[in-house]
Amino acid sequence: MRKSQQGIFKNIDWLMVIIYLLLVTMGWINIYASVFNEDHYLITDLTQKYGKQMIWIGTSLLLALIILVIDGNFYAAVSWPLWILVLLSLIAVLFFGTEVSGSKSWFRFGEFGIQPAEFAKFATAMVLAKYLSQLNIKMTEVKTKIISSIIIALPIGLILLENETGVALVFFAFILVLYREGLSGNFLLLGVVAIVLFILALLINKTILIIALAIISAILFLFMRKTSQNFILLFSLFVLSSAIIYSVDYAYNHLQSHQKKRIDVFLGKESDIKKAGYNVNQSLIAIGSGGLTGKGFLNGTQTKYDFVPEQSTDFIFCTVGEEWGFAGTAVVIILFLILLLRILFIAERQRSSFSRIYAYGVASILFFHLSVNVGMTIGLAPVIGIPLPFFSYGGSSLWSFTILLFILIKLDAYRLEILR
Amino acid sequence: MKETKDIKKDFLWRIYLMYFFIVLFGIAVLFKAGTIQIAEGDYWKAKHDREQVKKVSINASRGNIFSADGSLLATSVPIFELRMDLISDPITDKLFYENLDSLALCLSQTFPNRSKSTWKTQLKKARKNKDRYFLIARKVDYPTLKKVRTFPIFKLGKYKGGLLVQQQSRRELPFKNMAMRTIGYDRVSNKPLGLEGAMNKELAGVKGKRLVQKIANGVFRPVNQDNEIEPQDGNDIVATIDANIQDVAHHALEKQLIKEKAHHGCAILMEVKTGAIRAMVNLTRLDSITYAETFNYAIGEGVEPGSTFKLASIMAAMEDGYTDLDEIVDTEGGKKALAGGYVLKDSHDGGYGKISVKQVFEKSSNVGTANIVLKYYKKQPQKFIDRLYSFGINKPLGIILPGEHNPYIKDVKSKFWSALSLPLMSIGYEEKLTALQILNFYNTVANNGKMMQPQFISEVQSKGQKVKTFEPVVLNPSICSQSTIDKAREMMEGVVKEGTATYLRTAPYQIAAKTGTAQIAQGKTGYGSTNKKYLASLCGYFPAKDPLYSIIVMIYDPSRASIYGNEVAGPVFREIADKVYSNNKSIHKPLQKDTSALLVHVPIIKCGKKEDIQKIAQELSLKTALEGNQKSYLRVKQENDGFVGTTIILNDSEVPKLIGLGLRDALSILENQKITVKVIGRGTVRKQSLTAGTKVTQGAVITIELS
Repeated sequence: MRKSQQGIFKNIDWLMVIIYLLLVTMGWINIYASVFNEDHYLITDLTQKYGKQMIWIGTSLLLALIILVIDGNFYAAVSWPLWILVLLSLIAVLFFGTEVSGSKSWFRFGEFGIQPAEFAKFATAMVLAKYLSQLNIKMTEVKTKIISSIIIALPIGLILLENETGVALVFFAFILVLYREGLSGNFLLLGVVAIVLFILALLINKTILIIALAIISAILFLFMRKTSQNFILLFSLFVLSSAIIYSVDYAYNHLQSHQKKRIDVFLGKESDIKKAGYNVNQSLIAIGSGGLTGKGFLNGTQTKYDFVPEQSTDFIFCTVGEEWGFAGTAVVIILFLILLLRILFIAERQRSSFSRIYAYGVASILFFHLSVNVGMTIGLAPVIGIPLPFFSYGGSSLWSFTILLFILIKLDAYRLEILR
Repeated sequence: MKETKDIKKDFLWRIYLMYFFIVLFGIAVLFKAGTIQIAEGDYWKAKHDREQVKKVSINASRGNIFSADGSLLATSVPIFELRMDLISDPITDKLFYENLDSLALCLSQTFPNRSKSTWKTQLKKARKNKDRYFLIARKVDYPTLKKVRTFPIFKLGKYKGGLLVQQQSRRELPFKNMAMRTIGYDRVSNKPLGLEGAMNKELAGVKGKRLVQKIANGVFRPVNQDNEIEPQDGNDIVATIDANIQDVAHHALEKQLIKEKAHHGCAILMEVKTGAIRAMVNLTRLDSITYAETFNYAIGEGVEPGSTFKLASIMAAMEDGYTDLDEIVDTEGGKKALAGGYVLKDSHDGGYGKISVKQVFEKSSNVGTANIVLKYYKKQPQKFIDRLYSFGINKPLGIILPGEHNPYIKDVKSKFWSALSLPLMSIGYEEKLTALQILNFYNTVANNGKMMQPQFISEVQSKGQKVKTFEPVVLNPSICSQSTIDKAREMMEGVVKEGTATYLRTAPYQIAAKTGTAQIAQGKTGYGSTNKKYLASLCGYFPAKDPLYSIIVMIYDPSRASIYGNEVAGPVFREIADKVYSNNKSIHKPLQKDTSALLVHVPIIKCGKKEDIQKIAQELSLKTALEGNQKSYLRVKQENDGFVGTTIILNDSEVPKLIGLGLRDALSILENQKITVKVIGRGTVRKQSLTAGTKVTQGAVITIELS
């Protein structure tokens, strides 16, 4: 009786809901400012992006409500079928999708479009949680590692086929989930080393790099116990690194030219501010010229004249920086930080491992999006076209992030009823 | 136990590491953002200012307004603002100082408001101050711009020479004051007016966009070769106004207003079948000889119409089946006491005795009209009002021009209704209509009861191609029975033949009309007893039997002897009607075939170019005795068998001999020579302020007096 009286909002974590609402609203206002059209000055004008975003927000809230109404057991149960459905739609879009600037990842319905890749994020998070939460699963076992890798790699492969490299990269964030669930830290370390090698391989002549690596290995061996085991370990590491360097070189040479350019610009190898570096340069000018308190609402000149491309989607953070200054960027960053830390806190209070693992999935995805998106606008990361969660213009991404977060809120609200 | 503890510890580590990562990331981002925005803020701001690129709109050229006969009523001409970037890179010290003297000389010749030495010092100073935006001149026309481009330094080219040209545009009305209020304007801080306001959307076009980059304070140069969005020029409008008739109406009204020392007046000519407005003049007194279009009275001023309203009153009583043309009405010695001691008077002392309804209308008897209406409607005044409403005269016409004054015809429920209302309304008081609304009612009668909406536009064109046509709009296919219409038209013909409109009686074609002479209420003081003001009007149509045009002329506050519609407004009516009649072949009876027409006559030429006159003479095998060279303008006289031409102007650099020329000829010659003209009076040129044959100087002004 009591349960039904308290209804669907019972035990809800209001902090997350409030931060969600704040971010979505601020996003809407900044979209308005970034694509403001004097002839259509109403924020509710449906012919403009800001009017459309209003519809996306409205439908997202509806989705959130539906998620809260559904029984908490539903999500674990539906994980596999949902994941398979999403994979099928990822395949289907390759055949029936509409091609937009070289990527074939959209289903078009008149004026609106749906991007299945966005929905693959929460589906994969759920399946991963479902799989790892089984009773006799241990992360240390090879089988577990392999199956987990497959779960993550399948959507990555399909999304790469759609030519959405940026979205595909997001799935690498799931390595954090695996780490939390017991994957050896060496893998993370290996990942970091691989990234460092990747960057070095692009910057330094590969022969010199390999000679340097050989010297480092030799020195390390001098300080270690000179067992054959250690020798084999170091030697295989060296071989592996050399392989990475060569494959990076190979991969780089086979990248598409705009991707190459972006990497070059990020690494400072090229400073062609007219082409690839243009976005970042304009973005930095926009944010930098915002100063401490910004130029004020609708006063951002840099952002208004379409200098910064993708102003309302990938570069929405520029508008925040230009019009609201450091004060605005700090508020947004801090809100996101509170949200992320809250998710980790919530993850650890779950009794069901499904809920806990899923929470880590949510945190990983959000963290990756946030760091890469904000990072690229302020020059900390290369330009990778992924949206800022809850902020950027777009129906698919807003829906997908809403579903992602609200399933967690539902699972959390439901936690006390598990195992009783 | 120990192992699980270790595992727990290990997992805790992992969790802490996650927290650590997130917080580390947060700090990194905040630090970086802070660096960019606060520490490096000024650097980025400067960079922003320096690289500032913006989108500017490029104005589309506004469409023209043409008259029905193809004359240009309103057009836009480009004008230019010229500035100079004095420290443009290619302008070296050597180049600058070597050419300074000659540049200053050229500038002083073209822009004589500054002397050569002034130009020189100013240019020198501007260069010292590193002025990149030095103003040379505003509102320069294209030929001048072309000339300036050839000046020393400037001739280096578009960006090298430092000449910055900004194009603007100015709206020109080639006929100046004529129909100015009907043509109207659409300016930012004002309410839109006239055709310009009404058709702004069509005329304005769509602005284009261009990306420009800042190169100095206030100086931007285009980033790309092409405009980002090309402007779309506005469409042209073809008005129903006929420039020739408008011209005649304008001058006829102006002449009469001057003569009658009136405050203002208006005149409208409307095509009966279509409602097309062919002329619409509104003139306000500025001083004793100057009247100008400053307000559109025809559509914007509601007046108590006075006697012209009697048509509606008597038609109402006829339509209700109460009265007929030959019913006898007592005009009671020209005086009738009404409620509250108010005495209604006829303009003719002693009245007309007992006369027929038709005569009441012809003589415009106030007492007679009031008696007809009182007889039938005194007990049922609302029925009278309802009948008037059924004629549609209480509704605005919904014309395209903004600013129509709504008609005011009250009913018995109005708080202003009194015992006097019925008799006074019957003779055109206590109600307000505009000149156009009155005319439209008369036009409806002329059109056998079919009420048309006054039309001001016939077509929208884009680059000469028809885009949209405006068809005539019927407001009411029949406002009353045909028999009422027939009687009304008989009464109006009577007004001209036997009644008050004596001025129209002598026309070679038959006119039907009604005169009106209304006292004007002057605010709180009422109609005034010492300083009475009158509104003289005349409204009618012609030819009476098969009407083609309707006309209204209203003259407000004529302050000489006469106040009557016939005498004050009559001449204007006649002049317009005569002009239309003479222009319109369909009104004339077919001419008898005249064999003498086949003989060659010497055609009338007043003036023209020598080569043209020679050509005509050659075609017709006429003799000529012409002065001057081929390009000379000649004044021409007709002799028995040819032309005799005397020189007006030899070439463009001499002031022409204008005496005896008409205004339009004089203006077109002077305009070609870029001489600014001041005109006094009308007619033919009697005096000119610059002596003929002298050299034309830059910016010369000539005053010509016409008589």
